[in-house]
Amino acid sequence: MRIKRSYWLALFCLLFFCHCKNKGTKHGSKKIAVVVSTLNNPWFVFLAETAAAKAKTLGYDAKIFDSQNNTALESDHFENIIVAGFDAILFNSTDANGSVANVLKAKTAGLPVFCMDREVNSNDPTSQILSDSYSGAVAIGKYFTQQLHKKGNYVELLGLVGDNNTWARSKGFHSVVDNYPGFKMVAQQSADFDRNKGLEVMESILQAHPDIDGVFCGNDAMAMGAYQALVSSGKAGKVKVFGFDGAEDVITSISENKVAATGMQFPKVMAETAAEFADAYIKGKRDFPKKIPVAVELVTAKNIGDYIAYGKK
Amino acid sequence: MTAMPISYNQHIRRFQSLIALLVLCIVLSVLTDKFFTAANGLNVLKQVAVNICIATGMTLIVLTGGIDLSVGSVLALCGAFTAGLLQNGIAIPSADLFIGFTILGAVLVSVIAGALLGLFNGFVITSFKVPPFVATLAMLTIARGFTMLYTGGHPISNLGSGFAFIGTGSIIGIPVPVWIATAVVLLAVFITQKTRLGRYIYAIGGNEIAAKLSGIRINRVKLMVYSIGAALAALGGVIVTSRLDSAQPNAGISYELDAIAAVVIGGTSLTGGKGSVWGTVIGAIIIGVLNNGLVLLNVSPFWQQVVKGGVILLAVVIDKIGEKKE
Repeated sequence: MRIKRSYWLALFCLLFFCHCKNKGTKHGSKKIAVVVSTLNNPWFVFLAETAAAKAKTLGYDAKIFDSQNNTALESDHFENIIVAGFDAILFNSTDANGSVANVLKAKTAGLPVFCMDREVNSNDPTSQILSDSYSGAVAIGKYFTQQLHKKGNYVELLGLVGDNNTWARSKGFHSVVDNYPGFKMVAQQSADFDRNKGLEVMESILQAHPDIDGVFCGNDAMAMGAYQALVSSGKAGKVKVFGFDGAEDVITSISENKVAATGMQFPKVMAETAAEFADAYIKGKRDFPKKIPVAVELVTAKNIGDYIAYGKK
Repeated sequence: MTAMPISYNQHIRRFQSLIALLVLCIVLSVLTDKFFTAANGLNVLKQVAVNICIATGMTLIVLTGGIDLSVGSVLALCGAFTAGLLQNGIAIPSADLFIGFTILGAVLVSVIAGALLGLFNGFVITSFKVPPFVATLAMLTIARGFTMLYTGGHPISNLGSGFAFIGTGSIIGIPVPVWIATAVVLLAVFITQKTRLGRYIYAIGGNEIAAKLSGIRINRVKLMVYSIGAALAALGGVIVTSRLDSAQPNAGISYELDAIAAVVIGGTSLTGGKGSVWGTVIGAIIIGVLNNGLVLLNVSPFWQQVVKGGVILLAVVIDKIGEKKE
């Protein structure tokens, strides 16, 4: 009885895979894989979807792989992509060092890898189109010191403490702000890039430090959470909130003078450039710039008219 | 089958976690003068309200000897569903039909949807004898996937000030989420202590075979507790969405662990049959106080994780020592 059942299961699986295979190779077009670190964050969803959409408009089959912030899963994806005969990989890595081996694997198999947003610490990617988090945070730091008139108590909300971007942004910010002795960081806490966590952590911080002048948040989701905590404690408007990413909610909030500033990243530019490069590679081009930094632009109430969510108008 | 749902020993165990909470509060009050204030007290209660809702449902499930790992995903899915119903309603173009939703309607439909997800969990567990751990683990992934499909991976924001009242408003100075959590707890206490269903829950967790032989319809009780658990997770989803004025597709990740931790710290046995809703409430408050206190003291985020894990371990070890002495 039990054996019989497992036969059925095997047959079912076989049918399922056959079906998938048929679907994949039906048209003779070439295939581009989009490997993204996570789809649990709207920013990365936008990056992956834009890359896949661009690849499709260029005439390719595109498929998105979600690494769920797990380098081991990313490694599985790479192996599957190589076996499945994809022609190029648009890659958003889970970890600058942890992903090196995966990129090498693809390179050895003759697959070009184009990195988007996040850097991989090796020379193996065909080209890297990177968001400059550090410089963006420096720009925010400068605006922060201006807005707070070079003195005051402030709070920093960090992203995931195991994430490279968390520290690139924090270091960029502190490289400016720490030069002014008038500033005092009364609390530095992690809220995991999460809106709800940002709200709860900020609520607690406000109990301990009711008299703060500014909050620097490692991303926009936390900035929105922190802003909500300020609203419910009646401090909205008195405390200036600074975010990072250029997400929709924050762009709206800046135009309504609720949030002071954010660092606009350009996922659309990065994703489309990567897709265009892959297209050029498949058509025979081989010399690509190893690194293309995409500047993070400071968005404030003054220039908000030029921007929309995740990009320029 | 035990006639009395709560025995003397369970009273002692309930007492244990209460003492732990008091000690924690005293220590924090000494370390910072910001801790023991009315504002911060309400703040902590507001923050634990969601976990209390989820953990109360989890307690009923754990008392039957089961577990539900899917609550975090169910929370996200139902939160997103509420937001979606409020913003877009349900449109069926082929039938030229559009259904708009009031706030109460959207909340009710979402909570019922949550209960149905729980019912499905219960169905898989009782009909196919799948271990609850595995069945609900599958639901954890499935519900998260549906959340992504429903939202397209993007948050659903700007839900209006009427809806925001559920998460941010207050009635006679006490935040609405705290009222909701209180109602949930009182209802659960009533169920576990005063109703037949409550006695059956304890009986099944104590000895499933004996319960079956004494004529209790085990499957029915299980379907009931998994439905209640998921409905309460959905209610938690409504509160979280309302507090943030936004349904986040990644809401509720690892909330199941917080809920299980509250249940365990509160002295409920993971093998079922022993424990109480009150214990869980105290467990949830301990976790909330700890989260709040560590931030008030500006403890490094790295150390916070170590401390939280340590407290859970300590609670369980003390509990086990107490069990041996009995």
